[in-house]
Amino acid sequence: MEGWDPNTKSTLTQIPLLTTKAGPRDGAVWTQRLKEEYKSLIAYTQMNKSNDNDWFRISASNPEGTRWTGKCWYVHNLLKYEFDLQFDIPVTYPSTAPELELPQLDGKTQKMYRGGKICLTVHFKPLWAKNCPRFGIAHALCLGLAPWLAAEVPILVDSGMIKHKDDATTSTET
Amino acid sequence: MDDELLELQRQFESAQQAKSSIRLSERNVVELVQKLHELHIIDFDLLHTVSGKEYITPEQLRHEMVVEIKKLGRVSLIDLADTTGVDLYYVESQAQHVVSDDPGLMLFQGEIISQSYWDSMAEEINDRLQECSQIALAEIATQLNVGSEMVTSVLEPRLGTLVKGRLEGGQLYTPAYVARVSAMVRGSARGITVPTNLSAVWSSLQQQLHEMDGASGVAIDGSFFQSLFNGIVKEGEVLGSLRAGVHWTPNVFAIAQKECVDSFFSQNSFISYENLNKLGISQPVQFLQSRYPEGVPLVSVFVHPSMIEMLDAATEDALERGSWIDSLSVLPASFGPQDAFKIMSLCPSVQLALKSNKALIFGESYVFSNGFVKVVYDQMEKELEHFSVSGSSGIIPSDDSQFVNAAKAGHDSNRSIESFDAGSESGKSKQAVEKGPKKRKGKSAGNAGAPESVSDNQEYVPTKSKKNQRKGKDTSSLQVSDSKTGAKKESVRAKEDNLSIPSEEWVMQKILMLVPDFEEQGVDDPKTILRPLANHLRPMLINSLKARRKAVFTENADRIKRLLDNLQRKLDESFLNLQLYERALDLFEDDQSTSVILHRHLLRTAAASILDTLLHNLDIHNKLKNGIEVEEAQNSESVSLSPGERTAIAKSFPGSLSNKALAVVDALEGKRVETFMDAFREIVEESGLLLKKLDKKLERTLLHSYRKDLTSQVSAETDPVSLLAKVVSLLYIQVHHKALQAPGRAISVAVSRLKDKLDDSACKILTDYQTATVTLLALISAATGDEEDCSSDRILTRRELLENQMPALKGLVLSASQS
Repeated sequence: MEGWDPNTKSTLTQIPLLTTKAGPRDGAVWTQRLKEEYKSLIAYTQMNKSNDNDWFRISASNPEGTRWTGKCWYVHNLLKYEFDLQFDIPVTYPSTAPELELPQLDGKTQKMYRGGKICLTVHFKPLWAKNCPRFGIAHALCLGLAPWLAAEVPILVDSGMIKHKDDATTSTET
Repeated sequence: MDDELLELQRQFESAQQAKSSIRLSERNVVELVQKLHELHIIDFDLLHTVSGKEYITPEQLRHEMVVEIKKLGRVSLIDLADTTGVDLYYVESQAQHVVSDDPGLMLFQGEIISQSYWDSMAEEINDRLQECSQIALAEIATQLNVGSEMVTSVLEPRLGTLVKGRLEGGQLYTPAYVARVSAMVRGSARGITVPTNLSAVWSSLQQQLHEMDGASGVAIDGSFFQSLFNGIVKEGEVLGSLRAGVHWTPNVFAIAQKECVDSFFSQNSFISYENLNKLGISQPVQFLQSRYPEGVPLVSVFVHPSMIEMLDAATEDALERGSWIDSLSVLPASFGPQDAFKIMSLCPSVQLALKSNKALIFGESYVFSNGFVKVVYDQMEKELEHFSVSGSSGIIPSDDSQFVNAAKAGHDSNRSIESFDAGSESGKSKQAVEKGPKKRKGKSAGNAGAPESVSDNQEYVPTKSKKNQRKGKDTSSLQVSDSKTGAKKESVRAKEDNLSIPSEEWVMQKILMLVPDFEEQGVDDPKTILRPLANHLRPMLINSLKARRKAVFTENADRIKRLLDNLQRKLDESFLNLQLYERALDLFEDDQSTSVILHRHLLRTAAASILDTLLHNLDIHNKLKNGIEVEEAQNSESVSLSPGERTAIAKSFPGSLSNKALAVVDALEGKRVETFMDAFREIVEESGLLLKKLDKKLERTLLHSYRKDLTSQVSAETDPVSLLAKVVSLLYIQVHHKALQAPGRAISVAVSRLKDKLDDSACKILTDYQTATVTLLALISAATGDEEDCSSDRILTRRELLENQMPALKGLVLSASQS
């Protein structure tokens, strides 16, 4: 579990674990798995809210629940930078972790694969593999996206790659 | 899509839509609070918790503290600081507020304690007390972890209500227990009939309780008993009086005491303090005086005035009869001599008599009328006259010190006699011959040392004189007083030690003889009265003795003078002769045996006679000085004493004179004339006489007269034997100008010495005559005394032969003397 800051770790441990090992093609069992995913997400969201650390909105964009879209944001220097978030549940899920995409930042940073898929730390995969099938979407967000945002947004802002939307408007205006 | 999934979707949606709670950082909050303070929105004190993460208002803190206190009723501030998480300082300051607001709370040694706590504790204590019947406060205090004073202050208001018991001397007792102990105290107090120290009683009670309770019993303090006792006394359950808190005198005792004193005093009209002491009255005089104001306190008894009246009557009677009385014989047996003295001084008749010198008090209890004393004194004085000497020991009058001093200083004896005359003139002309029975020693010496002063005291204060007397016996104190009076007085006193004055014992004896009453009347120890009486009489007697002696001196002075003159004359003459003879001895110094013979001869003859004269005269002188009558007629010229007599006389001389005299007597027995001469000179000097030295001129005149004397003797001499000695002496004078005194045995040597000084014919005559004399003497000594043998004839023939030769011999010296 090394490689993450203690805050992340404590949060991670509080997210309820899943039990059902099922992929999108497993029919009813997948539904079961999806329910667990929802419960875990609810718990994680509530936890974030109660800690005044709410940072994303997502929802399943298809009834099967294999594609998820939403928004995520990060506050830097009292400015809120918000990005679109989307990802698919891979067929081999839960053995394979979902690939989180921030399409707005595609090409703006090196820590990203083509198509806006974020690069995760070397520690992520083994941890995920080890905890399969107990980790779900909530865990992926907590372990993957949250640290990535915390690391990359300040650099991107400072390098001027991204601008706050107010600044953007003012700058366009000017 | 089942419902559950939909439901979950919806829930997730709503969860995401829910407003997120807003979180502020601590820093922000602190800043906010500061801002609020600045803006005076918060206008009261805020306190921090120890962790620094919380603010708390004083009201809240107080509230929390009160809650905490109510839980147990007793909380320490430190615990409060822990539970509230606020610094102890604020807790303490708030605790003050809390305690001052609520009268049911108290702050005690860093703890807040509520009254309810004490109530519950009191209940607990009460439970235990009822079980054990007694608890020590200290025990409770240690149990509650508070001071015992605190416990006392808390328990006191609850005694009798919550705690059913009694607090006494650091102990709690149940009423039953108190009742039991107080019953014990009452019992013991009632049992006491004599004055008692209560603490002793309490300790015995303690012992009893301890035995009853066994080891579990708590030691009860004496003060508990004392307070119970005080209560009992106050209620009048026991009667008596308490002094100094612990001395209990029961009423019954006081009553008995008073009755006893009353009955004794009214029956006997006196009571001794000793009796009162036995009855337990420690200050008898005050007690009696307060009870019988008319009574008179004496040294050891307390008397009713009637007693004085009785004694007064008795003494008055005795005084009127001119007799004496022992007041002790009149008074009850328990009166001491001091009491008697004091009571007598209170008798009007005695006072009157003393004032008018009609009575004397001796030995503290004896009253003598002056008439009686006078009669005794007169008789005593008469007695003194018949008083005879015993022993020939040297007796010197008391005031001869002048003489001794004068003699010591080498003054002429005449002078000393003069001083005697002067002294005796002042004396009264009473006649008395004093003859001391023996040398005074020890005891009486001190008294005689200062007879005058003692007599002054003795007149009216016999006690003092007694003391003086005792002091006098103590030689050390005597010496102390001596050393103070200085060297001169010391020597006087030393001399006076040798005085012979009637001793106290002697006077007492005499009084007893004169007044046999003293013994008959059953006086236990006649000395108690005789001694003071004797002390009173003695100085007067001594004075009269002295006066008499002085008179004798005046009479004897002339005789002494004559005697001494006579002696001096005799001494001069014979001593010069002795010296003359001594010179002649020098001739024979080389011949040892002859010299010894000659020395001895001289000592036996001339020296002995001169010494005897001296000793005899000195003896007479001595006696005269002491006022002893000496027969005048005994002044014969020729006194010859035996060696024993000489020693006796020598010993009878006073002091150093005696030593010198003994030395000279010894020297007389020796072999050397020189030693005798030295000793003789010393004794003569000591006795204040003078010796003439032989000088050339004197020697010549003496020799001349001696020669003339001898010549005439020789010419008149008819006895052939004694002629030889004289002729030889004469020849020595002629030849050597020395006066030889030679005994018969030394004649031959003397003759042989003359040989070379005389011409042959004279020498032959002398030798022949000498040999003839020797043969004659030998014959005479050999003669048996019987008539029948022929020795008498031969003596006769020899004598005739000698007589024939006599003229030749006479011619030898007579012619030489004329030439």
